[in-house]
Amino acid sequence: MIELKGAIALIGYGLAAIGPGIGIGIVVGNAIQAMARQPEAAAVARTTMFLGIAFTEALALIGFVLFFIA
Amino acid sequence: MDVLILAAEACDTAKEIICKPGNVVELFEHKEALFSIGPFDFTRTVFLTFLAMVIVLIALFVAFRKPRVVPTKFGVIMESIVSFVRDDVAKGTIGPEGSRYAPYLLSIFLFILVGNLFELTPFINFPLTSRMAIPGMLSLFTYLIFVGVGFSKNGMSYLWGIIWPKSVPIGLRWLVGLIEFVSYFFLRPLTLAVRLFANLVAGHLMLTLLLGSGWLFFASVGDIGPRAVIGLPWFAFGLAIFVFEFVVAVLQAYIFTLLSAVYIQTSVHPEH
Repeated sequence: MIELKGAIALIGYGLAAIGPGIGIGIVVGNAIQAMARQPEAAAVARTTMFLGIAFTEALALIGFVLFFIA
Repeated sequence: MDVLILAAEACDTAKEIICKPGNVVELFEHKEALFSIGPFDFTRTVFLTFLAMVIVLIALFVAFRKPRVVPTKFGVIMESIVSFVRDDVAKGTIGPEGSRYAPYLLSIFLFILVGNLFELTPFINFPLTSRMAIPGMLSLFTYLIFVGVGFSKNGMSYLWGIIWPKSVPIGLRWLVGLIEFVSYFFLRPLTLAVRLFANLVAGHLMLTLLLGSGWLFFASVGDIGPRAVIGLPWFAFGLAIFVFEFVVAVLQAYIFTLLSAVYIQTSVHPEH
C-alpha cells in the first residue's frame, strides 16, 4: 500500500554517512583531549589522528562511490 | 496518498541543464582525444600528467641546483617540504631506515599535491587525480612496494604472521587471521586509491555544479528576468567550496603519503 519511489541511492548514501561521521567525531575528540592533557605528545597524537580519520573516512567514501554506481 | 515519494529525482528533462548522470560511465567520460598516435589516445589527462611531472621536476631542480649555505627563499620552501616528508613522515613512521623510502614518498607527495592543485588553477580546472587511473596506479606502486618489502625482509614468516597471529587467543586466530589477510592484501590498496579519488571527484563535482549553476542563472537573465539573482547564493557557496578545496588537496596528498609510510612500516616491522 505504501510505495517508495525516487532516488533510493541518495537515502542509502545518507544512511551510510552517519557511522563515519560519528566515528570521526570520536577520533578527533579523543585526539584533542590527548593533546590538551599532554602537549609534548601533540605531534604523535596529531599524526595518529590523521591516520584514524583516513581509515574511518574510507567507509563514507565507498558509500559515495556506490551512490554513483546505483 | 498511497505513494510515498522519497527524494524524488528533480531532473526536468525538458530543460535538461544539470542532471545526475544517467549511468556511472558518464562520470568517467571518455572525451574526444585531442590526438591519437596509433592505439594510444592523448587526452587532456595525459597532457596534464606530463605537465605535473614537468612542474615537479622543475621545482626540485630550481631549488636544489646550486646548494648554498644560506638558501634562497624558494629553496627554503622546497627544503621544508623535503625535510617534512623525510623526517616527519618517513623517519617518524618507519624509523631510522625510513630514509630509503623517502625519495619515493617525496615523489608521490609532490605529484599528488600538484595534481590536486590543478583543480584550482584558473585555466586547468581539472584535478588530475579525478580519473581513477592515476590514484589507482599510485596505490598499485605502494602495494607492490609494501608487499615486496614484507616478503624480502621476512620471507614466508610475513605471510604466516598475518594469517596466524600469535598474539591472539588460540580460538580466534583463524578469524583474526582471515580479517587481517583480507585487510592487508585487498582492502589496503583499494581504499588508498578510492579515498584519494572520491575526495577529488566530490570536490570537482561540487565546484562544477555550484559555480556552473550560479553562472547559468546569471547568464539567463534574458529568459527569467530579475529572478536570475537566485544564482547568487549558489555562486557564493561555490566560492567557499573553492577555498575549502585547497585544504582538501593538501590534506589528501599528505594522507596518501602518510598511509603509504605506515603500510611500509608494518612490512618492515611486522611484530607491531
